Amino acid sequence: MMNIFLPPFLKMRLVFALIILLVFFQPYGQIHAQTPEAEKNFQVCKACHNIDGPKLVGPSLAGVTQRREQAWLLKFIRNSQEVIQSGDPIAVQVFEENNRIPMPPNPLTDEQILDILKYIDNGGKVADEYLVAQLGDEEKAAQAALAAQIAAEQEARIQRLNDIERDANRNFGTTFIITLIILIVVLADLFITKVIKAKFVHTILILISLFVIGEIMYKEASALGRQQYYQPEQPIWFSHKIHAGQNKIDCKYCHTAADYSKSAGIPSVNVCMNCHHQVREGKITGTEQISKIYKAWESGEPIEWVKVHNLPDHVFFSHAQHVNSGKLDCASCHGPIETMHEVMQVNDLSMGWCIDCHRTTDVQFGNNKFFESYEKLHEQFKANEIKGVTAAMVGGENCMKCHY
Amino acid sequence: MENKYFKSLDELTIDTTREIETTQAGDKGFILESQNEVKSIATASRRDFLKAFGFTIASAAIASSCEQPVRKAIPFLIQPEGLIPGKAAYYASSFFDGIDYCSVLVKVRDGRPIKIEGNTLSSVTRGGTSARVQASVLGLYDNGRHKTPLLKGEETTWDQVDEKIIQKLTSIKDKQGKVVILSSTIISPTTKAAIAAFMDAYPGTDHVQYDVLSASGILKANETSFGKAFVPSYRFDKANLIVAFDADFMGSWLSPIEFTKQYMQNRKLTNGQRAMSRHIHFEGAMSLTGSNADNRVQIKPSQQKLVLANLLHELRKIEGGETSASIPASPVDIVSLASDLLKNKERSLVISGSNDTQEQLLVNAINQLLGNYGSTIETDIHLKLRQATDEKMDALVEQMNAGEVDGLIIYDVNPVYDYNKKDRFIEGLKKVDLTVAMPVFDEETSAFVEFVCPDHHYLEAWNDAEIKTGFYSLAQPAIRPIFKTRAAQESLLRWTGNSADYHQYLMSFWETQIFPKAVNELFFTAFWNTKLHDGVFESGEKEDSGLEFTQDPSNEVLVNLKETDNPSAIEMVFYTNVSVGTGKHANNPWLQELPDPVTKACWDNYIAISPRLAQELNINDEQLVSVNGLPALPVLIQPGQQYKTLSVALGYGREKGGVPANGVGKNMFPLLTTNNGNKTYWIGDVNIEVVEGTYAVARTQSHHSMEGRALVRDTSLEAYLENPESGNEVRKEIKAHLKSLYPKAEFDGFHWGMAIDLNSCTGCNACVVACSAENNVPVVGKEQVINSREMHWIRIDRYYKGDPEDPELVRQPVMCQHCDNAPCENVCPVAATTHSNEGLNQMAYNRCIGTRYCNNNCPYKVRRFNFFDYTGSDSFKGNRYDPAEMTTDLRRLVLNPDVTVRSKGVIEKCSFCVQRIQEKKLEAKTENRMLKDGDVVPACAQSCPADAIVFGNLNDKNSKVSKYFADERNYHLLEEIHTLPSVGYLTKVKNKTI
Repeated sequence: MMNIFLPPFLKMRLVFALIILLVFFQPYGQIHAQTPEAEKNFQVCKACHNIDGPKLVGPSLAGVTQRREQAWLLKFIRNSQEVIQSGDPIAVQVFEENNRIPMPPNPLTDEQILDILKYIDNGGKVADEYLVAQLGDEEKAAQAALAAQIAAEQEARIQRLNDIERDANRNFGTTFIITLIILIVVLADLFITKVIKAKFVHTILILISLFVIGEIMYKEASALGRQQYYQPEQPIWFSHKIHAGQNKIDCKYCHTAADYSKSAGIPSVNVCMNCHHQVREGKITGTEQISKIYKAWESGEPIEWVKVHNLPDHVFFSHAQHVNSGKLDCASCHGPIETMHEVMQVNDLSMGWCIDCHRTTDVQFGNNKFFESYEKLHEQFKANEIKGVTAAMVGGENCMKCHY
Repeated sequence: MENKYFKSLDELTIDTTREIETTQAGDKGFILESQNEVKSIATASRRDFLKAFGFTIASAAIASSCEQPVRKAIPFLIQPEGLIPGKAAYYASSFFDGIDYCSVLVKVRDGRPIKIEGNTLSSVTRGGTSARVQASVLGLYDNGRHKTPLLKGEETTWDQVDEKIIQKLTSIKDKQGKVVILSSTIISPTTKAAIAAFMDAYPGTDHVQYDVLSASGILKANETSFGKAFVPSYRFDKANLIVAFDADFMGSWLSPIEFTKQYMQNRKLTNGQRAMSRHIHFEGAMSLTGSNADNRVQIKPSQQKLVLANLLHELRKIEGGETSASIPASPVDIVSLASDLLKNKERSLVISGSNDTQEQLLVNAINQLLGNYGSTIETDIHLKLRQATDEKMDALVEQMNAGEVDGLIIYDVNPVYDYNKKDRFIEGLKKVDLTVAMPVFDEETSAFVEFVCPDHHYLEAWNDAEIKTGFYSLAQPAIRPIFKTRAAQESLLRWTGNSADYHQYLMSFWETQIFPKAVNELFFTAFWNTKLHDGVFESGEKEDSGLEFTQDPSNEVLVNLKETDNPSAIEMVFYTNVSVGTGKHANNPWLQELPDPVTKACWDNYIAISPRLAQELNINDEQLVSVNGLPALPVLIQPGQQYKTLSVALGYGREKGGVPANGVGKNMFPLLTTNNGNKTYWIGDVNIEVVEGTYAVARTQSHHSMEGRALVRDTSLEAYLENPESGNEVRKEIKAHLKSLYPKAEFDGFHWGMAIDLNSCTGCNACVVACSAENNVPVVGKEQVINSREMHWIRIDRYYKGDPEDPELVRQPVMCQHCDNAPCENVCPVAATTHSNEGLNQMAYNRCIGTRYCNNNCPYKVRRFNFFDYTGSDSFKGNRYDPAEMTTDLRRLVLNPDVTVRSKGVIEKCSFCVQRIQEKKLEAKTENRMLKDGDVVPACAQSCPADAIVFGNLNDKNSKVSKYFADERNYHLLEEIHTLPSVGYLTKVKNKTI
């Protein structure tokens, strides 16, 4: 990125100077090596620089101590504008290459700067001897607890899915088979063995078993294609609990289209980058998951999320209708997302579920001028004949409300 | 017979006899037959039951054991500003295909153009569209498009093509050879500049324009009369009396959308207007415009000149001017017409669709005498369409054959298909060293050239247009190029060594040439952005040369006039219809399936013949005949056709258009002749030869016969002025009888209704295509149309009235009437069709099990059944039936994601564009306001160039639709059966002399 083209004799000199510098500063560096203070100071740099990874506002800093002379670095980091104005060719070039965005001056001592440089050389980690000291016992315990919690949650999720599946199988399998056997036995008795003499027993048993079989089949058939408790694995372990729960980020900060469009929209990578351009490390997963955003950003390949809430193609659901004009809370359909690391579909999204809500939920009748068209309802409302106007009363039960 | 409406000739002639036959033979035969049927059903049903049973179990087992598919949600990497996923964006653009022009808005959903709407900001087309404009969006996804540049038919890269073409051009330049750019009429100022730049770089280049539908006659006549070859701007809205001679100005003549808008403005009786223009039409074949005329006079095409001459003669006689000695008498009486014209001086318009210079000179003389220049015909504003003179093209072909042309660049034209002497053209092409074609679609011409440099589709390209003097418009891409295509202008510039892309070139041209014409604009960027947003820029400039009517050689024409040579000869007219037109869009399935407004036939061309001549020659409907030894075509007996005139549509018989264009109909272009340098669109003295066999023509005509009830009501202007209820008197009587045991349904809030002004509807079919595009209406193909299984949600019924030799023709658009007392709703066993509390007759496709009881019970026959899966939506591949390649991934890109794609076995019908209603209601809600009248516009109403369809809330007494419903002319279809339709019709009023 920053290849400096110099004539060979200059290059030789540069190498020579570097060797001297390295030899000269070596003991110094060993004394003050990448202390936690360096990490703290680097927070300022972090706003515009990555150590590894893509260029942000300024260039990435990995290998910067090999690229530049230390004396130059000290001068430049302390007050870059001064160096640029002095006409230093490297400084001017760096300035030009980075869209002439000035780096603010940093009132740091030489020692502090060298410490930061060490920190950079160490790949953005403090030296091992400080690592233990850095984390207090409490913090360590908290981190361990968090990890345990996540593991437990993962396990619970698998457990729950297994349970659901087992329950379903048990419901379907055992009951179905038992009733079927009863039916066959009764039929066999009725026509062949004739053990039970009272025919009404047969009749009752046949009717009951047919009813049970019918009921199971109906339940199973109507559940076809539904995905309650669906919680797929996502390409990035993105936690809504951290984003929406702990950091209290508004849902619509990322799902911007919810107010205007039928789909709420999955945020594009540039929305992630608004924050993750700075936040490069997570408490739970470290850089492992967040680096996937950078990978997408650099390669230009969008992230392929797995859709959790699926509706059939013949259903037209509009987020704008519910979120914007209906003033519904996201949680009323999506559940307590802010408590879930990975999103799970909590409601079955069946038509019965939709209609139930349409029948019981009031629209913004008094607050939205649109509803002034409903003159009769307004009269009834004023005369206190009705308490509120539900969605069903203004067409929420019409087929073509959702199917067209 | 005088006042009996009939829908087809069968109804008049055969129906009665057929009815008797069936009842006589029927009684016994039917019972026996039905018994057999019952038997066969009984034996088959047990097996069918077992089959179905097994299948259900198996499929349930498979379905339950299958896991749910994982669906991905892939967001943008960087979401473009202003683009909201799931929400449509509209971009202003300009449609121009070398023949028709229209200013449009392109609806783009998630990066994909899916619908074309008219641009109301254009004062030329004023929001109107045509069937072809509506269908053009499907052209973008045409399977027959060129996908890469071709070198001798082999796929290659742009670099290779450019290198070789530049090499050849340079060598031609070095030896001072001649290059010719052959194009259609070019109305784009920037394209003209690019061509000029090319001509500068390669001196000795010539630009020849070639029009398939030529106006050479008008150009040459005006050159004589005014000293300049131009097409004037016509103002039908200023004319009280319109006399047209075979000019199909609502369908194909010059600028039909603009003319329809203007024409209808003068013929509406809503809003208290009490006057109407009068339209008299002279023609041989039954055309769209002729069928809408107040008076239609049948003449043979060869008699046209004679009639015009007599009219001029008569006018001069009344005016007392000098008259030439004597001319042969007119075959029809024009004396009263002449006096009517004189009463409407400066308020009349005489036009002719003929391409004969002498005829146009007569027309000029008549208009000059009537003082129409400057009022109904503007000479200071020119229409920029049809600028080609046929002689130049003919001369070019001769030059090519003589080896005088070294390079030929063909842009936007397909002469190998539509030039009348195509063999001569192909021969000449072989003698040209460098041959380049720049088409959008794969065409016949592409096969005969060395280089094919495919151009963008207009929805992918930047461009501009100047349709009339000072009326500019811009075209912008609504999607990235789908294939490896390049703007033709960019190709031309590239070959001159200019590597600018056409967008930049266009902008800089506008900055230097167009921007200075704008007053009150300070900055170009602001000017450009607003004009790009609006799509149009109207500078108000005029042609500066003061054109004066100087030369009038009409006397010479009158003197040299001869009697038509052979009165018994049969003549043949060639026309282009509103669907495939000149054949350029023949590969568009929507257009192929569009029934002709007059014959109601689709998927073919055919020879229309008058009933009397058919009887004389003993030819039946659909009999194959050969004209002048050409491939045989079926005959179609057409009421209203002039006794000795045949007519046939051009634009069919494509060979390299792709599916479905190939092999549909026969190419009639080779029959065109050239007279006095102009192409002539009729031939005299044709020789008909009956060929063995018949050929079924797909017609939607008698499929939905309403059995002769008074469905279309009409009256004359005179009677209307006396009594506004005239023609509709029966309504009062019906209303008095309407009683019901049930309380009348009441709707709070909204009660949607539609009113159709039969006076305005021309039958142009734009609504039919708009509806298909908006609602994913499938294309079923010719076979299924013959089986009466066409799927159009809106159809335009046409009825003849009176004498079959010279009938009046009326039309009526019919879609679901959304009855408040709907017969379909209470017969559905699964409640798939119900009534909404906004008065809509709803259809839930996923509930429908396909019993078709509703279809059977609908008195309007507007419900459509999916006999197959036509769009590829079904999970079972075996259900698919795809005669027009509509299930390919490319063509499916046109589907509207807001409307369910129906699968096999369900009923569908007009929904009043419920997706638009819901969208606009939501928009109002989010903006915290009441829904305004005119907010919701269904696709059919939006597309209509005549504003015949009005839609709105019937609960709002001030809405336009409520006013239409309160009009004395309003009536409902089959009101007597008390279905309470939400669609109203306004009586058709003709300004005819009785």
